[in-house]
Amino acid sequence: MEHVIETNELTKVYGSGREAVTAVDHIDLRIEEGTIYGILGPNGAGKTTLIMMLTGLVLPSSGSAKVLGHDILKDSLQIRRRVGLLPEGFGFYDHLTAEQNLDYIATLNDVPKAEQEKIVDEALKAVALEEFRDRKVGAFSRGMKQRLGIAQTLIKDPELLIFDEPTAGVDPEGAKVFNDLISKLNGQGKTILICTHLLREVGPLCTHVAIMNRGEFAVQGRIGEIVETMIDEEGYRIEVGIKGDAEAFAKELRSLPEITGLEVKGGNISVRATDDVRANIIRIASKKEVEVLSIRRLEPSLEDIFMKALSKGRQEG
Amino acid sequence: MADVFAVASKEFSDIVRSKRFIILIVIFGLVMTIAMAAIYIQVIQAMSSLPEVPMPQAFLGMMALILSGTLSSFAPVMGVALGCDTISGEREKGTLKIVLAQPVYRDTVINGKFLAAASAVSLATLITSLASVGISIIIIGVTPTAGEAIRMALFLLFSVLFTMTYYGISTFLSTILKKTSQSVILSVVVWAVFTFVISIIASLVAITISRPTFMTGQPSDEESIRRFTAIVEAISSVSPNYHFSKIGQYLLSPYSPTAPQEEASIMSSLMYAGPNILVLVIVTALVFILSYITFTRQEVR
Repeated sequence: MEHVIETNELTKVYGSGREAVTAVDHIDLRIEEGTIYGILGPNGAGKTTLIMMLTGLVLPSSGSAKVLGHDILKDSLQIRRRVGLLPEGFGFYDHLTAEQNLDYIATLNDVPKAEQEKIVDEALKAVALEEFRDRKVGAFSRGMKQRLGIAQTLIKDPELLIFDEPTAGVDPEGAKVFNDLISKLNGQGKTILICTHLLREVGPLCTHVAIMNRGEFAVQGRIGEIVETMIDEEGYRIEVGIKGDAEAFAKELRSLPEITGLEVKGGNISVRATDDVRANIIRIASKKEVEVLSIRRLEPSLEDIFMKALSKGRQEG
Repeated sequence: MADVFAVASKEFSDIVRSKRFIILIVIFGLVMTIAMAAIYIQVIQAMSSLPEVPMPQAFLGMMALILSGTLSSFAPVMGVALGCDTISGEREKGTLKIVLAQPVYRDTVINGKFLAAASAVSLATLITSLASVGISIIIIGVTPTAGEAIRMALFLLFSVLFTMTYYGISTFLSTILKKTSQSVILSVVVWAVFTFVISIIASLVAITISRPTFMTGQPSDEESIRRFTAIVEAISSVSPNYHFSKIGQYLLSPYSPTAPQEEASIMSSLMYAGPNILVLVIVTALVFILSYITFTRQEVR
């Protein structure tokens, strides 16, 4: 399958000698068509530099990359023609209205004058800003500017959308508009790459993620696969709620060879095991006449994956 | 791909609708009016004390002084005011990121800005100069001849070039410096050096080297003055202002610099001013090329 984004050992070093800082360190990234790919990482992880390289706005120090089949060094103009980019820290011309700003973006994208009005209209509607079209951008709130930023990416009807910190500083309504729009655009077959440190807001949208730290990918892949890998490494987590003598019940559970860890808090018992032992737990409970009020397997959340990847990076660093 | 005119058209519209531009035009118009009024009053006074002194017959004689003086001060101010945030302003506001995220070459952006500034400067110079000329025709009652009109038009054209020299310097500074405030300060320093400091240094060096007799209170000899002037001019030629004032001298004076009794043709005035025009063209092109190279190689972070 043709990858929408494909990088090989992509590296960026700022400065030289003792001052040299490796912002992106030998990154290999493959993004398939139609996915919502999240690059998650703390500030300064190298996310912005990576996407700036992918759109030809920053030159790599070494390695190579192709976006929509175009080489980032030889054909960056074609990339920017087909990719909608929302850079971090962008701005609009405050003295122009929302519509005038988008008209200018449309002109830069060679949108014919006859189609310009319709396309700008649709872009404003998509981000729920149509009623503010004649308002000067200088009077916009930060969230409105962010939504207008998303609207400008839609002007060229891109095949790939790249968003850098799209929900930073956005209110919950703006975040919802963004999430709905991403789902809609993805439903239309567009590939979406989101870079953010706000994993709670954007993470759930993603089909694939890469956790980036200190210029490297600590983890990457389909979310389900990453969860499975983490379970393989860390085992199963099961939470049991009971009515009865929890300490005595826990003592019985410790006899199960699959159980590697156990913690009792009142009537709740947290179990770590090498396998899914829920059936065994229920069997022991019925044998000991302990009433099981609840039993559930806890899957690692994106936050768990994120924190684990970062702590792993810190230990290695 | 968007062409340079798409960028230039938007930039031109931004410039001419900006408060900064309108204020500059108003100030320029006021300065011209005050200068004209001052000269008119001087002529009236001269006429009243010496009734045989007629009003200046040559329109150019009257206007030359006003235009040359006003534009040599005003043009750098306009160039610096328009150029000081060309790139740094866009970088600070984040608009550069949005523009460069589109399928445009960076040279299209900088060429468009330069073209827009040149058009806006031409418009400002044309409006204010034509208004001043019109007013002076009405007040003085002397209509310029065709030759005078051509000389004026040529001078205005080179005023635009001179303004663009300062715009180019200012744009270059706004390209290499991160903040507009830094670019403004350095542009003003460059302007002050070219306008005041160089001439002071030139005089001091000339006095030290040539030791002119008029400085020691002795009767001045021609050789001493010639040497002094040559040194002053050699050092002053570092400044674009010097070349602009020379162009003004040659174009606005109908007399030949080598034979002051003879009237020089427009073509020969242009020939005399040729080296100075060339210097202004080269300096403008050089700062523009430097801005261009720096901007196209800069990374957007």
